[in-house]
Amino acid sequence: MKDKKVDLSIEFCGVKFKNPFLLASSPVSNSAEMVEKAYEAGWSGVAFKTLNSDRIPIIHPSPRMNSYHYGHKKLVGLQNVEQISDRPLKDNLLDFLYLKKKYPDHVMISSIMGFSNDEWEYLAKISEDNGADMLELNFSCPHMCVEGTGHHVGKAFDLIEKFTSTVKKAVGIPVIAKMTPNITDMTEPALYAKNGGADAISAINTVSGISEVGLDDMVPKPNIFGIGAISGTSGPAVKPIGLHFIADMAKCQDLALPLCGIGGIETWIDALEYMLLGASTIQVCTGIIHYGYRIVEDMIEGLTDFMIDKGISKVDNLVGLALKNLDTTDKFDLERQGVTEYDLDRCVGCGQCYIICKDAAGQALDWDEKLRQPKLIEDKCLSCMICSFVCPVPGLISFREMPGNWQRNETKVMDESLEAELKYSPYQP
Amino acid sequence: MSKVDDFNKMPDGFDLGQAIAEADRCLLCHDAPCSKGCPADTKPGEFIRKFRLKNITGAIRTIKENNILGGACGVLCPTERLCEKECSAKLRSAGHPEDRDDPVRIGKIQRFLIEHSWEMGFKVLEKGEPQKGRIAIIGSGPAGLSCAAELAKAGYQAVIHESRPEAGGMIRYGVVPFRFDLDFLDQELNDLRDLGVEFKFNSRIEGKESAENLLKEGYDAVFLGTGLWNGTDLKKDEEDIDGVFDSIDYLSGLRDGRLEEFQRRIENSVVAVIGGGATAMDCVESAQKLGAKDVYLVYRRSFLQMPAEKPERIHAMEAGVHFLFLNQPTNYVTDGYNRLKGLKLLQTVLGDADESGRRRPVEVEGSDWILDASIVIKAIGNIPEDQSPEWYPNVKTDEKKLVITDPKTGETSVKGIFAGGDIVRGPALVVTAVQDGKNAAKAIVNYLRQ
Ligand SMILES: Cc1cc2nc3c(=O)[nH]c(=O)nc-3n(C[C@H](O)[C@H](O)[C@H](O)COP(=O)(O)OP(=O)(O)OC[C@H]3O[C@@H](n4cnc5c(N)ncnc54)[C@H](O)[C@@H]3O)c2cc1C
Ligand SMILES: Cc1cc2nc3c(=O)[nH]c(=O)nc-3n(C[C@H](O)[C@H](O)[C@H](O)COP(=O)(O)O)c2cc1C
Ligand code: SF4
Repeated sequence: MKDKKVDLSIEFCGVKFKNPFLLASSPVSNSAEMVEKAYEAGWSGVAFKTLNSDRIPIIHPSPRMNSYHYGHKKLVGLQNVEQISDRPLKDNLLDFLYLKKKYPDHVMISSIMGFSNDEWEYLAKISEDNGADMLELNFSCPHMCVEGTGHHVGKAFDLIEKFTSTVKKAVGIPVIAKMTPNITDMTEPALYAKNGGADAISAINTVSGISEVGLDDMVPKPNIFGIGAISGTSGPAVKPIGLHFIADMAKCQDLALPLCGIGGIETWIDALEYMLLGASTIQVCTGIIHYGYRIVEDMIEGLTDFMIDKGISKVDNLVGLALKNLDTTDKFDLERQGVTEYDLDRCVGCGQCYIICKDAAGQALDWDEKLRQPKLIEDKCLSCMICSFVCPVPGLISFREMPGNWQRNETKVMDESLEAELKYSPYQP
Repeated sequence: MSKVDDFNKMPDGFDLGQAIAEADRCLLCHDAPCSKGCPADTKPGEFIRKFRLKNITGAIRTIKENNILGGACGVLCPTERLCEKECSAKLRSAGHPEDRDDPVRIGKIQRFLIEHSWEMGFKVLEKGEPQKGRIAIIGSGPAGLSCAAELAKAGYQAVIHESRPEAGGMIRYGVVPFRFDLDFLDQELNDLRDLGVEFKFNSRIEGKESAENLLKEGYDAVFLGTGLWNGTDLKKDEEDIDGVFDSIDYLSGLRDGRLEEFQRRIENSVVAVIGGGATAMDCVESAQKLGAKDVYLVYRRSFLQMPAEKPERIHAMEAGVHFLFLNQPTNYVTDGYNRLKGLKLLQTVLGDADESGRRRPVEVEGSDWILDASIVIKAIGNIPEDQSPEWYPNVKTDEKKLVITDPKTGETSVKGIFAGGDIVRGPALVVTAVQDGKNAAKAIVNYLRQ
């Protein structure tokens, strides 16, 4: 019989979390009233909505978000131009005190963003003084209306180091640097953060993007009274980007810092993927904007059942498990080749596979008009697998490895007689 | 597939892709009306959300923990008037230009999830910490099974006494196999066996005070879930006629080894089924499938007054059954050897509404006629067995011999004796029997802890 007890708790920078699931700094963590409801639903901690020092008034553009739909699927992505917290600092700090008093076992991470060195220091100190267990330095908001902040810092690596080290000198609690994905290689800024003394890295903040353009008014959305802007995209559409950066940083031996995964997480499977690639905690924003705090119940239950099934008793043991199987493309074994296999008894005869194999792949399918079924010409199949992505019947099309001596047929040329007119000599390096 | 296989197998349910697509239609309501609409508190709002968020094991757990017959209910529940009735997705589509009446098909998702649990070998239920207390459950129908499962989960020893050779009650011996097949039932019963529920088959509780005496024979409580196993006759003191069957005898015959005998008899004959409820529908459709020349459904009111669920009514019509409305059977016609030749009918018209709210049939004088038929199946209402009150003489029953209980707890007038399901409610549903069993189990646990 399988052991039914698993331990979801995890240590991150020496701080204990009862599970790896946290609220991301965003509207879902805007006040104690909200965070309290989230804790009751099962979230183990919060990166509170990024504090500001009241020096410059924060006004959110209106309307501040746009949903990126795909067919009937809603919120595949979310576009937002929201700023950091528009609440007075005092109110936010009072909410810290309330939450720490009522939920001492839940982790309070204060997300901060300064506009100058001493403002970073001020916000760090005042957070620690009012009960924050950790800090998260927001180097990464892509659409601050104030110059020289947000991901402008995240792209100027020396500033990351400078501000991190300022903060580290001011406080004793662990410090996380939150990175922008709007760069090519995240290990570089992460190393700067590490040099500045960061204890952990969280990623990703939103991806710079434009999700839709209004066709009548010609304004990119959200339309702020006639103006759109390149702004932050989040949600399921950005998960591949988040996973990439987390995996990269997890593989970077010089970095060797604990990681917090963010970006497109809605289900336990998304969260687990981040963990398998090296994140030991994860944060969620858009998933909650779509479904509410209740999704954490399913993250907890789903992950617990998975761990029981796999005989893994501590969530720690999952972290980074997929990294050993992640390598660069030059390490692939190209000797081994395969083709698709069709279980045609279950075919419903839509012919989507046929269309796209003809138009976008190996022309490896014939169409049997009588049976209304595809017929595979095995030695033309490229094993791109695109047919299986559009097939409506789960598992009907699968991958099969071919024996070592098997050869794929070269794609034929249309008219060999044109060879006489061909101007060609092989490349000589 | 042979004809008999076809008869014994129900159509496939959703596959994974279909189930995902259907669940995608769910609006994940805050105040899920589907959950409020389920009599057994199976929480469809919750299990669909879990499924949507890829927490399949959790979805299965929600169903199974709340409804031990979640699979059977997924197949058999008249969902269009239970969970799916107030579906917001349906209400939204009602204002649609095409006026679609298209709720999320909750029952089908539920069935899929349970079948999926069997496929992946995922078991939810576990025996509870052993407690002192042994409970006799009379009857292995949905009510008894549900009560036993709930008690076993709480750690108590539940012993089911069942007069028939196998478990399931009406969902084994009543409902026709092409609507609910035995493979499916047996799979679902395995979940119960894993809980350690003890079954005593061919073990009929009968004779004076037999049920009450169980309390003196080492049981700490008794649950009555004996259901309704007597048919109603057309007239008083009806004598046996060759060719006249009661629906219970006929339907259970299809399940207990007499299928081929019935098939031989029905093939190419004219069959008349009397009644307008769920049972009558199962009788007409099975007779049609077994190759009858003509099947008549004889009903004294009209289409709208039929108690059978609308999809089943339409299904039967489409299967080719002749609906003979506004006809009141009055007697049988036999040949000289006591073999049935026909059914004597009297035409009716609809008068004013009666106490059931449906318009009453009024016989048309002098309109009698004879429908030639060599088989008549009576499906005019199942009632408690005649002698049943004798088994528990101190338990209060009503004039229909139904057991009187506190509807919240299933407590009868005798301490330690509880009851639920059809023997309390009269003809009802699997899902209501499940709920009664659950409620009674909770009350029994409270009683034993006192
Ligand atoms: C033909 C037909 C079709 C139906 N279709 C549907 C449907 O599609 N959907 C739906 O929800 N409901 C349907 N129902 C109703 C449903 O089957 C019943 O409401 C449900 O089975 C009632 O459960 P129960 O446990 O109360 O009783 P039952 O299912 O009747 O079970 C009672 C059990 O007790 C046993 N028993 C009786 N007396 C004794 C005794 N003295 N000692 C030992 N054992 C005893 C019986 O053998 C039986 O196994 C249908 C009913 C019929 C007759
Ligand atoms: C409306 C909105 C407001 C946000 N505000 C902040 C913020 O104040 N500080 C911050 O660090 N990140 C902020 N984020 C980014 C999120 O914390 C998160 O990093 C990002 O949305 C990716 O995660 P997701 O796909 O789960 O939403 C915001 C995101 C959204 C959608
Ligand atoms: S048990 Fe029946 S009524 Fe309840 S949710 Fe399931 S299918 Fe609907």
